[in-house]
Amino acid sequence: MQLKHKKTNDVLIVRPLEKRIDASTAAEFKKKMGEWIDAGNRQIVLNLSEVDFIDSSGLGAIISGFKKIGNDGNLVICTVKESVMSLFRLTRMNRVFDIYASETEALDALSVKA
Amino acid sequence: MKPTANEISKSDLKASIDYHLRCSLCKESPTKEHRDLFLSTAFSLRDRMAKKILKTEQRYQKSQTKRVYYLSLEFLIGRLMGNNLHNLGMFDVCRELLIEAGIDIDEVREQERDPGLGNGGLGRLAACFLDSMATLDIAGFGYGIHYEYGLFKQEIDNGYQREKPDNWLADINPWEFKRTDEKCIIPIYGRIEHFQDRHGEYNPMWLDWNVIVGIPFDIPVVGYGGKTVNWLRLYGAGSSEDFDIQIFNEGDYFRAVEQKVATETITKMLYPLDTIKSGRELRLVQEYFLVACTLKDIIRRYLKSNENFDRFPDQVAIQMNDTHPSLAVAELMRLLVDEYALSWERAWEITQQTLAYTNHTVLAEALEKWPASLLERVIPRHLQIIYEINRRFLEKVAVLHPYDVDLLRRVSLIEEGETKLVRMAHLALVGSHSVNGVSALHTEILKQNNFSDFHAIWPERFVNVTNGITQRRWLLDANPRLAGLINDTIGDAWITDLSQLRRLEPHADQTGFMDEFRDIKRANKETLSEIISDTLWLSIDPDSLFDIHIKRIHEYKRQLLKIMHIVHEYLQIVRGEKTPTVAKTFIFAGKAAPGYWVAKQIIKLIHNVGQVINQDRRIRDALKVVFLPDYSVSLAEKIIPAADLSEQISTAGQEASGTGNMKFMLNGALTVGTLDGANVEMLEEVGADNIFIFGLKAEEIADMIKKKTYYPVDYYHRFPEIRRVLDAFRDNVFCPDEQGIFQWIYHRMMNNEDHYFHLPDFFPYIQAQDQIEAEYLDSVNWTKKAILNVARSGKFSSDRSISDYNRLIWNKKFPN
Repeated sequence: MQLKHKKTNDVLIVRPLEKRIDASTAAEFKKKMGEWIDAGNRQIVLNLSEVDFIDSSGLGAIISGFKKIGNDGNLVICTVKESVMSLFRLTRMNRVFDIYASETEALDALSVKA
Repeated sequence: MKPTANEISKSDLKASIDYHLRCSLCKESPTKEHRDLFLSTAFSLRDRMAKKILKTEQRYQKSQTKRVYYLSLEFLIGRLMGNNLHNLGMFDVCRELLIEAGIDIDEVREQERDPGLGNGGLGRLAACFLDSMATLDIAGFGYGIHYEYGLFKQEIDNGYQREKPDNWLADINPWEFKRTDEKCIIPIYGRIEHFQDRHGEYNPMWLDWNVIVGIPFDIPVVGYGGKTVNWLRLYGAGSSEDFDIQIFNEGDYFRAVEQKVATETITKMLYPLDTIKSGRELRLVQEYFLVACTLKDIIRRYLKSNENFDRFPDQVAIQMNDTHPSLAVAELMRLLVDEYALSWERAWEITQQTLAYTNHTVLAEALEKWPASLLERVIPRHLQIIYEINRRFLEKVAVLHPYDVDLLRRVSLIEEGETKLVRMAHLALVGSHSVNGVSALHTEILKQNNFSDFHAIWPERFVNVTNGITQRRWLLDANPRLAGLINDTIGDAWITDLSQLRRLEPHADQTGFMDEFRDIKRANKETLSEIISDTLWLSIDPDSLFDIHIKRIHEYKRQLLKIMHIVHEYLQIVRGEKTPTVAKTFIFAGKAAPGYWVAKQIIKLIHNVGQVINQDRRIRDALKVVFLPDYSVSLAEKIIPAADLSEQISTAGQEASGTGNMKFMLNGALTVGTLDGANVEMLEEVGADNIFIFGLKAEEIADMIKKKTYYPVDYYHRFPEIRRVLDAFRDNVFCPDEQGIFQWIYHRMMNNEDHYFHLPDFFPYIQAQDQIEAEYLDSVNWTKKAILNVARSGKFSSDRSISDYNRLIWNKKFPN
């Protein structure tokens, strides 16, 4: 799975380059997120601007990352297409995650939280 | 409004048919191939209907008309060619065009398959309602399932029913538009993960679901006059395109294909269950699938011209046809709360103001109850919502009726016990602003018995809307001879206002009119006799009394009582006790649910009794017994116009309404029946002199059950006429080569297991039949009564039913 990542101050920005996070990519995604969190990354922005489709295993991978961080940090999401947003609403994930319109907004919000 | 005579010219229609022959079917024109003519004519009609759908939609959007959505797991629409031709005003032009080509329009119409997307009355009612909504210019649309296989094809093998698959889509269905652009994605299965939201509140998350794709197929529904064309949207299940990509992942190939097949199986088959439910998971999935696709579609359409849900109940009315779509309560709540972030209270207000529920049965075994564990597995989020609905509902009831624990238990949406069950009728009731029964008697029974607790809590929610039938299919199209006579006598306003038939009353004793009426009945009987001869190689006398019992085979409909009467008559004749004065032909048709042993035995009994009687020379054709196989809407259209006597003899209190009874009345048959369902209102309309009512009333039966005063074995011992009928079943009179196969009837009576009260009604029924026989001999009087039945059938138009729904339910006002 193609995953771009960069660090800005203390925030890890993760941007999947795949159009889909589904059963074929979700396991790898989950593993990668887990490794970053284990490596000490506690402020994470997940930029979904390239993603058109997430199935339930992909959603599960995101939740797994959220649970792993727990109260020790923040995993927020930005730049979500409507097709993905509708799935967040269906699962009620939109009430759990902070979702921002852009990477800049997400970074601003995290700096305030910090 | 009448279609304009120049809706289309002959030359235009010919050009259109020729075009479709060449361009849609790639066939030579002209042709005499009936199948090709049917398809190309249907495509030509569909062209016109498509344009009218668009115009109708523009009109609705401009006027912001409130839309009515009729949800039903069944739509028995029947063949559409004739109906569409009449409603578009093109029937005569088409017939003449075909005549010029040397072709009989009826032979072309016979090419159309009956889409058997329903079991019986409930499905046919839904279809009649669509016709009436379009004719009355109501923005009314049907939502159902696009079953690949409809109700099974019934074949008879040595008297036994054999079910064969009904592949109605084996050939092209020319009426439907497949709308893949409007498909929807539906989640199913999965689990709930318990989380907290950003504010620390409990937030259940529905995860790990599978995906079903709902693909809509639209069938135009044209109202009489051709001005309004609504549609029936049927959803077929498919797997998602995204899934198809997974097929290329080699390791998952077989599992992926299995999942694809499982998904597409969802709408493969209509459950042939009628009143007996088996609680199968696939059926639950079908019900959820329909409701989820429908609500998604309705909301999508609503949000095109609305920014929020404030006007939703003003713009949308949803009618649930029985409890089958009652998951709409939970799904609408889920959508409003989970996906559109409304508060629970606001969502509940909208849900209740939008939904209404029609109950169709008082039979306990027919009230749907699903194991909570099954819902938890299939639709876990909906189960949570149902529990929450129940919690809030019971809280309110407890405030009104403190300390009445038993009441809470009775009204709860959840039935506790070894297996926890969800009561779908209670869900429908609690989530609706209105609940209606389908005849005056039925609604009273609901209020006083089945739903008495709910009636006590919400009396204002209960209304009656008596069922109805569309006169356009059941008289104009099915009985053109009679329709023609009526048109010649009083004009054709009855086609859109059935109360106009009252103007036939002065003609009921005019010799000329009576002679024509009688001739038409005779001609219809000749036509049916030919069909019977072609189908069964049996010769029938069209001058005999056609005594007809056509409906689903079920003990409460009492085909067994009819057979007992026939056996009684037979024994009287062969024993020299009676010289028949009237030749009688008893005609049966109907299907039994595949797992319903008794119903299948009754079919076998009818055949065996028929075989013995039809071949017994002592009878000398005084009695004939006929079973026409594979009962369908199309077969009903052929049988009903030929009827002299309509059998509506259900155990009183069991048939919610009936609609076959109305069709017979409309076509000039006299009815013999119990005071059950809509028979009660038929009696009120037609007058006691013009109908043969007999037997125990519903309250009498209820009383006998309560006091346990009915013992069938007593009747056996007291009445020799009953004894010899039951002995005939016991002693293999009708099964000499299959000994013992009908002894179950005798043993049931001896074991006091006659739950449908055949024996107490036996003598009253015989007396009614004797009276019928005497009256049939006076053909002038009989014809007059038949005419009065037609003249007084106006109340039973589905136009009236829909007007009632519109007035009492769909435009109900709510206090702010």
